[in-house]
Amino acid sequence: MHKIKSSQRFVLFVVFGFILFLLSNRVDELRVYQGATAAVFVIAISSIILLTGYSGQVSLGHGALMAIGAYSAAVAHNELHFSILVSFFIAVLASAFGGALLGIAAARLSGPYLAGTTLALAIGLPSLANQFHVLGGEQGLAFDVGSPPPRLGSEFTQYKWYFWIAALAALIAIWLLSNVLGSRYGRNWRAGRSNEVAAALLGINTARSKILAFTLSAGLAGLAGAVLAMIIGTVSPSAFPLALSFSLLTGAVLAGISTLSGVMIGAVVLVSIPELADAVANRIGSSEKITTNLPGFMVSALLIVTVLFLPNGPVEHHRERKAKKAAKKAL
Amino acid sequence: MKAMNRRKLISVSAVLAVASLTATAVPAQAAEVGVSTSEIKLGMTLPMTGTASLGYNKIPGAAKAYFDYLNANGGVNGRKITLIVKDDRYVPTEAVAKTNELILKDKVMALLAPLGTANVKAVASSVNPAKRGVPVLFVNTGFSGFADVKKYPTTYAILPSYIMEAKIMGKYIAENFAGKKIGLLYQDDDFGSDALAGFKTAGVNFAVKVAYASGSQGAAAAAGWITKFKAAEADVVILFGVSSATSAMLGTAAVLKYAPQWMLGSVGGDATTIKLTGVPAGVLYNAIGFSPVPATTDMNDEYVKLFSDIYAKAVPGSAFDLNVLLGMNSAFMTAQALKAAGTNPTRKSLMAVLNTQGATLANSALSPVGYSGTSHVGLTGYWVGKYSPTGDLAPLGGTYVTYTTDSGAGAVVKSTYKRPAMPAKGLPN
Repeated sequence: MHKIKSSQRFVLFVVFGFILFLLSNRVDELRVYQGATAAVFVIAISSIILLTGYSGQVSLGHGALMAIGAYSAAVAHNELHFSILVSFFIAVLASAFGGALLGIAAARLSGPYLAGTTLALAIGLPSLANQFHVLGGEQGLAFDVGSPPPRLGSEFTQYKWYFWIAALAALIAIWLLSNVLGSRYGRNWRAGRSNEVAAALLGINTARSKILAFTLSAGLAGLAGAVLAMIIGTVSPSAFPLALSFSLLTGAVLAGISTLSGVMIGAVVLVSIPELADAVANRIGSSEKITTNLPGFMVSALLIVTVLFLPNGPVEHHRERKAKKAAKKAL
Repeated sequence: MKAMNRRKLISVSAVLAVASLTATAVPAQAAEVGVSTSEIKLGMTLPMTGTASLGYNKIPGAAKAYFDYLNANGGVNGRKITLIVKDDRYVPTEAVAKTNELILKDKVMALLAPLGTANVKAVASSVNPAKRGVPVLFVNTGFSGFADVKKYPTTYAILPSYIMEAKIMGKYIAENFAGKKIGLLYQDDDFGSDALAGFKTAGVNFAVKVAYASGSQGAAAAAGWITKFKAAEADVVILFGVSSATSAMLGTAAVLKYAPQWMLGSVGGDATTIKLTGVPAGVLYNAIGFSPVPATTDMNDEYVKLFSDIYAKAVPGSAFDLNVLLGMNSAFMTAQALKAAGTNPTRKSLMAVLNTQGATLANSALSPVGYSGTSHVGLTGYWVGKYSPTGDLAPLGGTYVTYTTDSGAGAVVKSTYKRPAMPAKGLPN
């Protein structure tokens, strides 16, 4: 086994992007839409993995950070007439700024106190939109990135356009993030997570390192929020409920909280569970009580099973087993 | 970043490549999506779980009860109607996801009775039923914007707009409460601003106006509202909010023994839903209320009688309330429109029927719908009533006097609408 170099990683992402491109031309529109949603979850879950898995901080408020990104993008696009690309950048910057403020508070808090603070944010922040007219109140704001360019042909659907944008955003975000995690900053975060005192003795400014992690994580969450707003065409407080923050955390645990490479698994599971639940419910009789409650039950059951049997996630588990085998062989 | 070997990379790529090649092709289109020789498929998304589901989660059961009755009596031109219901938990993201499933996977012919302004707006801009030519029938929101055929060409409103309701309330106030101090509780968004616009047109002067942010309504907040109404010495207090806000207000007022003349908007005025939250029925006694459809306890009304019989058999033990009546009424109107759309109904012929004959489709409401090629305005009127000692809304003086108006500057007038008789057995003719 050997470490892949940054250049190899780049090639890997380009190849993966090309496969996604081919896929998007072969599957039907519903799958393309689900793929776009999965891309949002990939970005959002990776931001949790960065924060919790690498820097050891908990956030129950990532839904709120996504809301900051979504609203910033919509306001930048609608009111200030920036292009979509610039609006996405503004979304990242605005939520990163929010994350930095939160990170300063977070550096003084830990464990349940931090969880409580971020939880309050998840509950309170989205409803702030009701207080400011420019944010559109309960009905929210429209966020229309426009139709796909005509040269792509009349068969080219809106959702495929969204998927291309979302997938590209996810690929770029994950590529950047994996480079950062492999750098000095990534090592600092892991050192701080393992033992804060030891890390400080090594000369790492743990407080600054934690704030940086929060800022970056929030920036990613903001990007996820902006992409989500693009897909659903609107931004409103009810699009960012507390349940969203929780499902992101669930996705991160399913993905393996300490490995970025499992992030696809978490995203795909979150997108596919409702459909799977529908199929199962139809098989065992279509009582409304079952269909409405089965998705939640399945996610919770999967979470418990993962925590019991694969606490570090499936990817990490697979790696450990391989490493053990290799060690046996070597003996 | 942990180490990653090349072999795994290749195997992952291979799996994805195979997946991309084996992906299923889109099947050839039938005569019309969602219509087969034996079945017409319709889809509905609305909150079935979560805080916003209170009361509204009875709508699918109500619509299904009517469709089952219809199917047992031969369906529409021999086709049975299947209603596929999905829970959107009142979250726009979920509404978009579930609507996509309904249109792209379940391949429904039309969407029926989606709920909530934010959800319907999100679906309109993301799923874009207009571009796909999918009819969105009888949306459960009084937001006046959905009547706009230019912006929402395939969407049909059903509830009268909030502006109309406020104007009709204004007329009642001018005639009965002249010189009294009026207080208003309203929601701080489009719902409330529509109401304010209507009251302004009607020339109502408020002694005190209290706005609440959606989601903030609870007993503690209600105590604060009461302080403000008391300070302004309001004689009449209008509650123009959702069920939870109305319930919080009335429940807290009962505890604090605050009893002005209440006036309840129809959105939050369903007595069954209010009583379910523990508000004593006595608090509702003598409150003024408004409704576009007959009183749900009026067994002399042929629709209420038939619908409540069907519902009682289909969903035993569930109270027949305003949500049920509206749900069944929408299902009933859908059946008639489908029947009128010809032996082989299409999305286009269905919408053509609504645009040309929509206003004459029989239904239980006491005012006509305003559908035409240039407007998709829903019902246009309300009757005024009082709540009985048991908390049920009944018309003033025992007979329905319906007032009608528009969402603009038009006057509020007594309606001359004569509701057509119900088709035999409540089946489309």
